Amino acid sequence: MEYILTVMVLIGINVILATSFNLILGYGGLMSVAHPIFYAIGAYCSGLLAIHLQIPVPLSILMGAGIAMVLSFGVSLPSLRVSGDYLVIASIGFQLGILHVINNLEFTGAAGGLTNIPVLNEGPSRSLVFVLLIAVVAACAVLLVGWIVEGDYGRAITAMRNDEEAFSALGRNAMNIKIVLFAIGSGMAGLAGALYAHYFAYVTPEQFGIFTSAALLTMVVVGGAATTWGPLVGAVLLTTLPQAITFLGLPVSIMAPLQGVIYTTLVIFFLFARPQGLMGGTRGGGGLEAWSASAAFRARRDAE
Amino acid sequence: MSGIVRVEDLHKSFGGIVVADDVNLSFEAGEIVGLIGPNGAGKTSLFNLISGVIPPDAGSIILEGHRVDQLPMHHRARIGLARTWQNTRMFHSMSVIDNMLIATRRYPGESLARILLRRRSVDAFRQEATEKAMVLLERVGLADKMHDMAIELSYGQQKRIGLARALMSDAACLLLDEPMAGVEGQAYETIIRVIREEAQAGRAVCVVEHNISFIRDISDRTVFMFNGCVLASGSVDELTRDSQLTDLYFGGEHPQ
Repeated sequence: MEYILTVMVLIGINVILATSFNLILGYGGLMSVAHPIFYAIGAYCSGLLAIHLQIPVPLSILMGAGIAMVLSFGVSLPSLRVSGDYLVIASIGFQLGILHVINNLEFTGAAGGLTNIPVLNEGPSRSLVFVLLIAVVAACAVLLVGWIVEGDYGRAITAMRNDEEAFSALGRNAMNIKIVLFAIGSGMAGLAGALYAHYFAYVTPEQFGIFTSAALLTMVVVGGAATTWGPLVGAVLLTTLPQAITFLGLPVSIMAPLQGVIYTTLVIFFLFARPQGLMGGTRGGGGLEAWSASAAFRARRDAE
Repeated sequence: MSGIVRVEDLHKSFGGIVVADDVNLSFEAGEIVGLIGPNGAGKTSLFNLISGVIPPDAGSIILEGHRVDQLPMHHRARIGLARTWQNTRMFHSMSVIDNMLIATRRYPGESLARILLRRRSVDAFRQEATEKAMVLLERVGLADKMHDMAIELSYGQQKRIGLARALMSDAACLLLDEPMAGVEGQAYETIIRVIREEAQAGRAVCVVEHNISFIRDISDRTVFMFNGCVLASGSVDELTRDSQLTDLYFGGEHPQ
């Protein structure tokens, strides 16, 4: 029972992460892969504040999310100057740089990780209460992103993603939108990180590396980029699938690489067979198709 | 010389390629200026410099009395500059009406705080903008396409939507990049009429076009560009009588 509840907590965390990543990457078309670093910033800041300054855990969680939000400038400012592939590289640099700092500082626990983080709640039904909390937060995250991307603001986001230059030439300020999307998305990732830290009481730097970026990207792509429910479906699927194969009783030497193979195979399969993802519509509904259409469109235009 | 837009000693080069060589130009209110010249003359680059897609190396651009050459693109658009593109540049995953709504001078939907706190004024604005968009779509003859996806229209129809979209902001200056490409038949007359009406409403209009008979029909003054330089200015007939210019246009030798 405890195992199932723990998996559910992980599902909730991943739903928040994938949904917020989708806001930046799917809807905003902002090719940053540094999302896990804001997850890390939330986890570490909240954990450290609670450990060293004895700040009450609920407050430190909010502060962790807030710090992640503020530090999102680290990616949103480069995104004003570079886009596409270049932003991928700039964001990787930002992610690895901060990770390197965490890995080498004494007070963050260095490579060994940060331990003895005070937990949010205790008692016999601690996990159940936490699952309910995380379900509420995850639902709010999905609804918040859904609200942001609909209506007048959503129209502006879509137009910016389709053609930023044409968007700016019509008098729209792409800079503001990028900063807002990164701040909200990163703040949500920070919140997920803080919740994680105060449930498991332990975080290590290696949880927030490129592998996590790839896992989140897979969730968004498989579920359907730029769709409301896609990341949720992707997060549930890709959190439970690796857990499920552990029941097959395969030896560790096969099991470990198998998980990587599953992720890669899924991404390649979806790229070819269903670029709009599981939840993507047939037209105009976002997904990778919307991206690749944008990319093809830009390439054609630039060639002329 | 007053002018809605004044371009003074504008210079821009990419490495050895000079796209604007000390260009001096002025677009007056109510005037339609035709900009012609062979491919690579710097016509579209001039539009890109004025609208802010590329920054100039030197010189100044004055829009309605404001010096704008260092301002970002969206800022210039809000002061009063609208342009269209050679390739229609529709927002391809959006409907025609959504393409139009994005183009209003002020767009309150750009601020989440406004949407949250002043829902009513944002709604009222959208209502107003939708009505305005419908009038414009009517004028370019595409009102029945408002709910179609922009990318699914023909090239010529997209050109007309592009023109209508540029008119949403009531800009003082309109830069139209090949508005006639792909446009045929009745739509040709429609576009001529719309451009004339906009000039009569007091806007300064500059049109880049390869279709010389269209430029003859519509422009009050024609400017000939070559290798980033403004070589001549006058009526189309004056320019076409100059054999040196027609040689340049049709691929003659560079005059030394």
